[in-house]
Amino acid sequence: MNGILSRRPTRLSALGAATALAISFVPMAQAQDVTTIKVLNWQPGGPEYWAALVEAFEAEHPDIKVELETVPFDRYPEVQGPYIATRSGPDVMEQNAGLELFDRRVAYQELPEDVLAAGGDLLTRSGGCLNYDLDEPCYGLPFGLQGNVMYYNKLVLSEAGLDPDNPPATWEEFGEACEKINAVGKTCLALGMTGVFPTYWVFPEIARSYLTEDDMRAVLAGDMPWTDPKMVSILEAMADIPTKGWSNSSAPSISMLPDGADIFASGNAGFAGTIIADAVNWAAFGEALGDENLGAMRWPAVEPGAPLAKSFSGTESSVFGVTSWTSKTEAAQEFVKFVASTENGNLLTELGGGIPLNANVDPSLFPKSSALEQIREIIKTPTIHVGVLLSGQEADALGRGWQEVALGRLTVDDWVERMQVALEESPGKN
Amino acid sequence: MSIQTRKVPIRSGNPRSRSGLRPGFLLIALLVLPALILAVLFKLVPLLRAFWLSFMKTQGFYEPSFAGLSNYQAMLRDPTFEQSFYNAFMVFLSLPVWVFMPLIIALLLFQRTPGWRFFRATYFLPYMIAPVVVGIMFRQILAPDGPINALLKLIGLAPLAIEWLNGPNSALFSLTAVALWSFFGLGVLTYLSGLSTVPQDVVEAARLDGAGFWRMLVDFALPLIRPVVGYWTVLCMSGMLIWMFPLVYALTRGGPGSATMLPEYLVFITTFEFLNRGKGAAIGMALFVFVSLISTFVVRQMYREGRGKRQ
Repeated sequence: MNGILSRRPTRLSALGAATALAISFVPMAQAQDVTTIKVLNWQPGGPEYWAALVEAFEAEHPDIKVELETVPFDRYPEVQGPYIATRSGPDVMEQNAGLELFDRRVAYQELPEDVLAAGGDLLTRSGGCLNYDLDEPCYGLPFGLQGNVMYYNKLVLSEAGLDPDNPPATWEEFGEACEKINAVGKTCLALGMTGVFPTYWVFPEIARSYLTEDDMRAVLAGDMPWTDPKMVSILEAMADIPTKGWSNSSAPSISMLPDGADIFASGNAGFAGTIIADAVNWAAFGEALGDENLGAMRWPAVEPGAPLAKSFSGTESSVFGVTSWTSKTEAAQEFVKFVASTENGNLLTELGGGIPLNANVDPSLFPKSSALEQIREIIKTPTIHVGVLLSGQEADALGRGWQEVALGRLTVDDWVERMQVALEESPGKN
Repeated sequence: MSIQTRKVPIRSGNPRSRSGLRPGFLLIALLVLPALILAVLFKLVPLLRAFWLSFMKTQGFYEPSFAGLSNYQAMLRDPTFEQSFYNAFMVFLSLPVWVFMPLIIALLLFQRTPGWRFFRATYFLPYMIAPVVVGIMFRQILAPDGPINALLKLIGLAPLAIEWLNGPNSALFSLTAVALWSFFGLGVLTYLSGLSTVPQDVVEAARLDGAGFWRMLVDFALPLIRPVVGYWTVLCMSGMLIWMFPLVYALTRGGPGSATMLPEYLVFITTFEFLNRGKGAAIGMALFVFVSLISTFVVRQMYREGRGKRQ
């Protein structure tokens, strides 16, 4: 009896063990064929678009699995910095085109011709190449267009007695509009000054009134001192915004994303200067305020006669590159190629509220929105986005200086001096 | 016989073996070795590496080259460096509050004040919330139209409803207050542990002598748990100087301007935002020296007092 009882479990155990072993080999065999790549990103276009992008990529490449590490945009440099310093981490990384990419190019592999060929249908891809030059080494491929516009709330403008069909086009008109909006108890320009937003979202829009494209290239090369009268004029105009009471008083201690954008989305402000794609764009504001109440325009020109006053500060939104330390180069390159594809362009248009760079994207996929239509007109006259040409030191000094100017603790002259020191200490510009 | 033979060296008062080592030395060395290896690998090596890096010129993330003292010179020229240490000193001035407030609360709890069980848990709760979450939470609470100001207006204290994070003094004060809120629960618990070692008959005797709360605090609690107070003081000091990073990061980013910039946050942005690892390491070394000097002073005071008490 004992013998039977003792034998049965042994046989059962052996059978169970064999089955478990067999089952365990199935996923092991599958896992060996699948390469998992880690992609560091800030999810431009939102989670729905990114879920679709990953799904489409994995469907096209069943042997590659994508693992996303998503970091908020304003925290991105601080998460990415340690990865680069330790030469470890993701296989693919997202990077703002321009100086930010150039400064960090040691973290990226130079893309070979066959990968760059995948960007053949893009309207531009120079932002992924050194010095915006296609003949120089290229480190990433872009997928969408990004840049700045000013959104306005038609209801607030009407309440203040302004014509919502003719928003202010000059600095002078903007000042007058602000006085009227303030008079009805609303904030004129919803603003947050912390982080990199002053550099990326405000500075380029004022700079267009003073700089030419050659000046902007000089900014990139570090050959344009902040003591130059043109640069001083830009800072003076920026100082106007808080000191003349055009923005919310909390601006020096809040971030534009999400705090400043929230003020506008809640209907308490007339204007907000943000971007054409990603988080705080026409789609998000349209949803919050109603598409019919939202308008988009260029930032009012400080110098309406300036050559670039009616241009659009646009750039490749960001580029994706293969990290220099990855051992999964081929899989990572496949992802970068897919990012630039028409298929991804269609997804970005349909789900991400973005404006794709791929020329073959189906135009019927663009959502119906009057603000988006205005934006599609504005982007027809692009120029260099000078914000992405500032170094980390300059970006930090610009934001902190502006905060102190707003609080009356710093003069514009002292701000200029600090900016010059920041330029002189920028590793990539000296 | 053999037992007697083994005992001889001990009786003779010679604790060393033939090899000149104390008995059990190998075992002791073996037990200490893992901790020693960890300390060398994760404390000493990074410190020496940072010291070496502080003499190097770093161009972005490229290989560094020797630069002598230029990083230290650049550091001393940088007004933000000076401001960050000034801010650290201002925060440091709040040390008595950090040390004595938890002690007062711990003594109240120790005396079984009504509701003490509830308060003991409540006071410790903030310490269990991640500092980054605390920072994000207080960004909302301290917003101009946030709940703190709404409450102040509601109770007729509208003039006090200021923009907490906008002014240079109010921002640093707010940052320090939030850090204290987050940290002091641990102090209460630390003091309670110290007080629990005090014999009950001593407590009863003090009560029978008619000691009130303040008498109990000054003449009873403070002398009896002086080592715990010393330990907590060192912990608070280092906390103020090197553990504020997540709060600065989430609450103010060192702003407005450089009003809440602390040395540890400056190390971080210099290294990872400005990509200047050499200068970041130099600031880190300055912070290390600063914390070491203060900690050495306080710890030596503690030992001196301890020795005095024993004598």
